[in-house]
Amino acid sequence: MNSSSAHTKSAPLWVDAAVIVAAVAIVFAVVEVALEWRQPLHNAVEIDLSPWALPQYALFSLARGWIAYAFSLLFALVVASWAFYDVRARRFVLPALDVLQSIPVLGFLPGLVLALVAIFPHSNTGLELACVLMIFTGQVWNMVFSYYDALRSVPADYRALGELYGFKWWHRFGKIELPTGAQGLLYNSMVSMAGGWFFLSITEAFKLGDQDFRVPGIGSYMSIAIERGDVRAQILGVVAMAVVIVVIDRLVWWPLVVWSRRFKLDDFAGAGVETTAMQRWLGRSRAAQAIMQGCGRWFRRVLPDPQPPVSGVLAEAGSQGGLGRTIYRLLLGAMLALLAWGAIRLVILLGRVSWSDWGDIFQSAGLSFLRVVAAVALGTAWTVPVGVWIGMQPKLASRVQPFVQFAASFPAPMIYPWILALVMLVGGTLQWGAVPLIMLGTQWYILFNVAAAAAAIPNDLVSCADLLRLRGWSRWRRFLLPAIFPGLVTGWVTAAGGAWNATIVSEYVHTGDKIYMASGLGALISRATDDGNFPKLAAAVLVMAAIVVGINRTVWKRLQNYANERCRFIT
Amino acid sequence: MPETPTTLIDLRGISHEYAAGGREPELVLQDVNLSVAENDVITLLGPSGCGKSTLIRLMAGLVAPSHGEVWWKGAPLQGVCPGVAMVFQNFALFPWLNVRENVLLPVGHLPPAEQQTRLEKALATVGLGAYELSYPREISGGMKQRVGIARALIAEPAVLCMDEPFSALDVLTAETLRNEIGLLLADHKHPLRTMVMVTHSVVEAVFFATRIVVLAAHPGRIDVVLPVTLPYPRDPDSPGFRAIVAKLHAILTRTNLPDNAEDATKVVVAIDDKRRRIAPVSLPYVTPAEVLGLLSVLGDEDRDVFELTERLAKEFSAVVSVLKAAELLGLVETPGQDVRLTPLGREVLAATTRDQRRLIREQLMKLKVFELLTRLIRVQEQQVLTEEEMMRELQIALPHEKPRPLFRTLLSWGRYAELISYDQRRHAVRLYELKGPSAL
Repeated sequence: MNSSSAHTKSAPLWVDAAVIVAAVAIVFAVVEVALEWRQPLHNAVEIDLSPWALPQYALFSLARGWIAYAFSLLFALVVASWAFYDVRARRFVLPALDVLQSIPVLGFLPGLVLALVAIFPHSNTGLELACVLMIFTGQVWNMVFSYYDALRSVPADYRALGELYGFKWWHRFGKIELPTGAQGLLYNSMVSMAGGWFFLSITEAFKLGDQDFRVPGIGSYMSIAIERGDVRAQILGVVAMAVVIVVIDRLVWWPLVVWSRRFKLDDFAGAGVETTAMQRWLGRSRAAQAIMQGCGRWFRRVLPDPQPPVSGVLAEAGSQGGLGRTIYRLLLGAMLALLAWGAIRLVILLGRVSWSDWGDIFQSAGLSFLRVVAAVALGTAWTVPVGVWIGMQPKLASRVQPFVQFAASFPAPMIYPWILALVMLVGGTLQWGAVPLIMLGTQWYILFNVAAAAAAIPNDLVSCADLLRLRGWSRWRRFLLPAIFPGLVTGWVTAAGGAWNATIVSEYVHTGDKIYMASGLGALISRATDDGNFPKLAAAVLVMAAIVVGINRTVWKRLQNYANERCRFIT
Repeated sequence: MPETPTTLIDLRGISHEYAAGGREPELVLQDVNLSVAENDVITLLGPSGCGKSTLIRLMAGLVAPSHGEVWWKGAPLQGVCPGVAMVFQNFALFPWLNVRENVLLPVGHLPPAEQQTRLEKALATVGLGAYELSYPREISGGMKQRVGIARALIAEPAVLCMDEPFSALDVLTAETLRNEIGLLLADHKHPLRTMVMVTHSVVEAVFFATRIVVLAAHPGRIDVVLPVTLPYPRDPDSPGFRAIVAKLHAILTRTNLPDNAEDATKVVVAIDDKRRRIAPVSLPYVTPAEVLGLLSVLGDEDRDVFELTERLAKEFSAVVSVLKAAELLGLVETPGQDVRLTPLGREVLAATTRDQRRLIREQLMKLKVFELLTRLIRVQEQQVLTEEEMMRELQIALPHEKPRPLFRTLLSWGRYAELISYDQRRHAVRLYELKGPSAL
């Protein structure tokens, strides 16, 4: 899912445009090359619909998710540090990331698949890698922004301390920067994991042109179950996915969240550090202790502890060797060359899009725009009252929170056929039915943020509103709506970005052997993928990315500024 | 002159319990009877934890009492009290409304012309005319509280409730605002006549009140009601004013610092319906550093409690807590209003850091609660007591204390005196001498 990026200063419009073109260019230039190289392959793995196969499939999907997460984490740490320490790079890295997070995940699909399958023609490696990389593209962006924010917020005193003690970069990273960023990074990891799962049923099984690609996993299990109309297997698939989400939450995220609380910089002395049952259990286990101590020793040997500087000379920071600089310039030059080449190929590719196709794209974009607006508006209509109600009762909030989190993490496209069946039952079509499908995946972000904002309203202000007897509409208008507005805007940004992405799967739904299609930009992208119509696909992805970035820059950024200026509580 | 002023707010047999996070409900207020009549200015004074803020919220109808009734003008109060306006410690301004809109909030139902008249009057009263279109974040703390006061006054409330209105302001600004409210009370033409104010400053209490209500803590209850008949505006340097301050000091010292500390902290706890026992004496929630700091501030001289409070620039109740802890450990004695070091106190003051620890350790071991704690650890398997178990035991032994702050206090003293050590990772306490292999 997209995340807000209030911190990137508005770059000039041409930078945005250039970055959009460049990003899409690379993807489709690779497609072009791959198309020339590809050979007929049979990449569809047989999927066994028996329940006994499910644990294995779950394991495969999990493995892909975690491998992708490992890449995301590494990418986030490296790229955010690069953007932070290299002022010149920052100016194009940040806007680039902002655009990249607006490109629909499925827009990356054909390029990645064709390229990687071409690189590994005789094994499934390429396809697996493509699948992992698609999950990666759904995870990585908000993590980069989160870690970049953390780097910016490292207190100057800590950096000074690091210099005084002669910290090398890995000490600075391990002892100062990572602890500062731990909490934000962790929260974003949870969001990212959910974002990575969202398209699972598509990334694991899809058609591209005349080819059928499939890797074993819950997502492909589900899509086969849907294709064959096997309701029992569909239910099993959904249950398995739910179990996976809950297990990850309890065994991985929850202990990490508790653990990361010790990195709160503003923690006052004496506040007890919380632990979970699992940590206490690990703490008592001799084996775990031995392993931890062993790891500690190994780390210290590989990365020696900092030595205080012998004389008054500070660390020779900033004295980059001439060789390093040359390599850096070469790399940068190579990247620019690649971009230029990609841009040219993209222009050539787009040249094949006919005028009527362009008309089609823009008309579809208009329809999708209406759907996105409707989905966000409907989502807002119910999540705002419910979110406020939950947020203002701490007990209720802590009880409801896991359910909302679950709903947000569950890959909604898996149950699209069920919802669509309901829509058909009441006589609707996908033209309208796509709206609830879009909502299913995105409304939770509004609910989350509204509830958090409502919970943060100072008690005295609530008392004051009670004493003023603000009731009914005037209570909402004068008190509650402004109070939750910053949270609401954050929710909107995430939900709207996600909604554009979701149109791709919501406007084009496979159930059984039938395909339901609404007219919209998302459906157009899906169909272009299915048909292997790459010029049109490139054009459509380009337009969608441009719309998302454009709306971010014009509407959301302004609303965010307004909300931060007016509606934040300060004392 | 009306012969009997009308009773506005009447608290009848109020007790209030508050349950935090699934714990045993705690008694915040016990059997409070208090009535506010027209022209009363009541100040609520007392140590932290005496339920002052809860009391004022009960009067405003923001909180419903667990037991007893709140009456408003001769009828039981349902919901929020219609004749009460409130000024909050942290202002509670709406950041998205400007000064004008914030102040106008309570009178939105009136015709526009009437609103404008009242607005101008309210803003002029607090001197905010030039700030009408500013937003709260653009003005200083003092100005924010002026907006809070103007917002309360514009409704022309029958009772103005103020919850520590000057506590969040710097000293000089607070002084100015205090004087301005004093002038309003002195101005017979101004409709503001009835007021309830929570404060922790003795001078502030005397400055405003026609009646000072002194509350005692654990559970909160009315201790003494002291009438004040001085005319407004009051001069803190006048002999009459000083006499009342001295009297109030004497009352507070008696209730907070009786000459025999052991007796004062004795709490009788019910075992069952018939039997009672005396709970072990525990320490107030203060740290060793605070007590040692007190010793060096005291030095060789006797000092007056209130002079000390002023010198430390702390709340009276906070100073009293430190004094009590020092007295329990036999380091100071408090005859009357005075504080002086005992011979032991002098010895501790002169000792090296290591000897200080040893002396304090010896004193701590004389306290029942530490005796209990060490015994508890010794009977554990492996001689390790987890935090949860310790809190549970403490709650049984000392049901009148809050388990978490008590736990933290005991932990800080126990660790300082090298009696116990604490394992952060396992949340467990063990005896210091018996320290096991180093933790992970």
